[in-house]
Amino acid sequence: MSSLALAPAFDSRFDRILNTVAAWTLGLLWLLPLAYAAWTAFHPSEYSARFELFAPLTLDNFRTAWEAAPFPRYLLNTTLLVTTILAGQLLLCTLAAYAFARFSFPGRDIAFALVLVQLMIMPDVLIVENYRSIHRLGLVDTIGAIALPYMASAFGIFLLRQTFKTIPRELEDAARIEGCGVLGVLWRVYIPLARPTYLAYALVSVSHHWNNFLWPLVVTNTVDTRPLTVGLAVFAGTDQGIDWAVISAATLLSSAPLLIAFLLFQRQFVQGFLRAGIR
Amino acid sequence: MRKLFTGLNRYAAALGLAAGIAATPAAAVELSFYYPVAVGGPITRIVDGMAADFERENPGIRIKPVYSGSYQDTIAKVLTAVKGGDAPHIAVLLSTDMYTLIDENAVVAYDDLVSTPAERQWLNSFYPGFMKNSQTGGKTWGIPFQRSTVVMYWNKELFREAGLDPERAPQTWAELVDYGQRLTRRDAAGNVTTWGVQVPSSGFPYWLFQTFTTQNGIELMNAAGTETYFDRPQVIEALQFWVDLSRRHGIHPPGVVEWGTTPKDFFERKAAIIYTTTGNLTNIRNNAGFEFGVAMLPAGAQRGTPTGGGNLHIFSRSSAAERAAALKFVQWLSAPERAAQWAIDTGYVAVSPAAWETERMKRYVADFPAPTVARDQLQYAVAELSTHDNQRVTKALNDGLQAALTGTKTPAQAMQDAQREAERILRRYR
Repeated sequence: MSSLALAPAFDSRFDRILNTVAAWTLGLLWLLPLAYAAWTAFHPSEYSARFELFAPLTLDNFRTAWEAAPFPRYLLNTTLLVTTILAGQLLLCTLAAYAFARFSFPGRDIAFALVLVQLMIMPDVLIVENYRSIHRLGLVDTIGAIALPYMASAFGIFLLRQTFKTIPRELEDAARIEGCGVLGVLWRVYIPLARPTYLAYALVSVSHHWNNFLWPLVVTNTVDTRPLTVGLAVFAGTDQGIDWAVISAATLLSSAPLLIAFLLFQRQFVQGFLRAGIR
Repeated sequence: MRKLFTGLNRYAAALGLAAGIAATPAAAVELSFYYPVAVGGPITRIVDGMAADFERENPGIRIKPVYSGSYQDTIAKVLTAVKGGDAPHIAVLLSTDMYTLIDENAVVAYDDLVSTPAERQWLNSFYPGFMKNSQTGGKTWGIPFQRSTVVMYWNKELFREAGLDPERAPQTWAELVDYGQRLTRRDAAGNVTTWGVQVPSSGFPYWLFQTFTTQNGIELMNAAGTETYFDRPQVIEALQFWVDLSRRHGIHPPGVVEWGTTPKDFFERKAAIIYTTTGNLTNIRNNAGFEFGVAMLPAGAQRGTPTGGGNLHIFSRSSAAERAAALKFVQWLSAPERAAQWAIDTGYVAVSPAAWETERMKRYVADFPAPTVARDQLQYAVAELSTHDNQRVTKALNDGLQAALTGTKTPAQAMQDAQREAERILRRYR
């Protein structure tokens, strides 16, 4: 009798333990490379592959990395780059998604299918063609040139269209009765209700373009336009082997702003996702 | 349409980003110079300094150095720019990309640029070993700039502990195996703590493999870059030797050995002898906490190594005035004094005999003679593997080598497969 009564309680406790263990495992796996980077960055390079609790601490690696490339400038460029891209994407994707979700016009489905096709193409395949266009526009070696090919994001359009489609028509009708025009409805109804989606998309976009390397390298030539990733590549010169200590220091330097921003706004992010789930 | 473009321009400018669109004054020739960085140190600063020096000595020519990532990134950037109608004027690219650049009609031959006897003389002033990868079809397409060879580094302390003469490196394959067996150390559980010899095989194993094939008396391709000889018996024998170092003799780490961490293994005493580039000399000199030696690679049937590294190329999309200015810059960069200074700063091999005769080079090697090993080994050097459609042919060989080293294929099978793939790719260039 008692065993029967205990079973569900035991089950749920077992479930909770399993969940906790899984969460911790995933968390530790995520933390491991970061912890290694922190360890190597703060110790002389003799200790990169050896763990001694009381190994001498040093900031020399950061100094070497800092002096090897103009990081403040790169940081500024990267920040400008991701904000430009995000601003462009939010504007274009919102308008396109609104059109695809709520208006019917001839050729809409074909146009939307073409947008979806864009999802299947690796951007790297288009580098030569993109370069040609950018060169013709006279924009080579500008931050605008790095940003332009990514602004009409198919993923963004798709994501927002799906979100807009889940919003009840009745809300739109109510807004119209109150006197909202076409853009008024978008601004007062759709955008506020899609906030969690915007937040999630912004997170993905910023972290992706923070890390993008090949296209920025190809289309820029000077320190004034290059992002952090291109600056980091100086340390990956493998003719003479890799100095993990300096690479780790440089990696920490360039990922720190993003990490800190995430830790600061973590609560907002999580709440944003939660709200998206509740509805 | 025009209006839209200027509008976009203004948009970029308004964001404060339009640094690159500034127009060049008509009087000055401006040359873009793409270069990769493959060794440590403040290379970008050194190159910027050289460009500034050149501008001071040559008013009317402006050099715009553009750091362009690794060698792989640089060729991607250059080819994209060439196809986008925006080729650089000068670029440092792997000497092995020569056929690719010719096939793309991207570069001009130096023979078509030089005019005076003195300039023709200059074309012949470099080590012949380095020119093997810079000439084809009777023309010179690249000028050696940051070139290297494979050499052997050994840990003198470990030699002493193993009862070997610390001043003498193994001279032959048999000695390499013998030394390796004495140097390999195992702990109580039988795990190896120090490997006798370590030859890296990640990334570009074909380059290290060429040391063994050259020593076994065979080259991997013809001079026209249209044929490969991967399945010849001597090539398979050479691969068998490499595989056996680990499988039969147990003196070499099994599987694929990482290139980037091999120097680190050497510093950590996990490997007593390593094969790596001369470009590593400065790194090893600064970081090895023990006495080390640098030697030519041990001989099989003969000594041998491939050369490696980058050449200076002049691109075809430019005016006559720009080409003349580019030639001037290349000549300036490769002049003995500059070549010597560049070699000292970076660890690459100075590219001409005259560079070794300069005062600063003599002073440098007087208290650090190791760089001369690479120079003296040049007489045994062959061209690095380079063919038409080089990236794909090389990949076929690399895949075969790694399959043999990890044991998924026998050396013979691996090399036959690689040869078949190379045949298929090269057929249309014959």
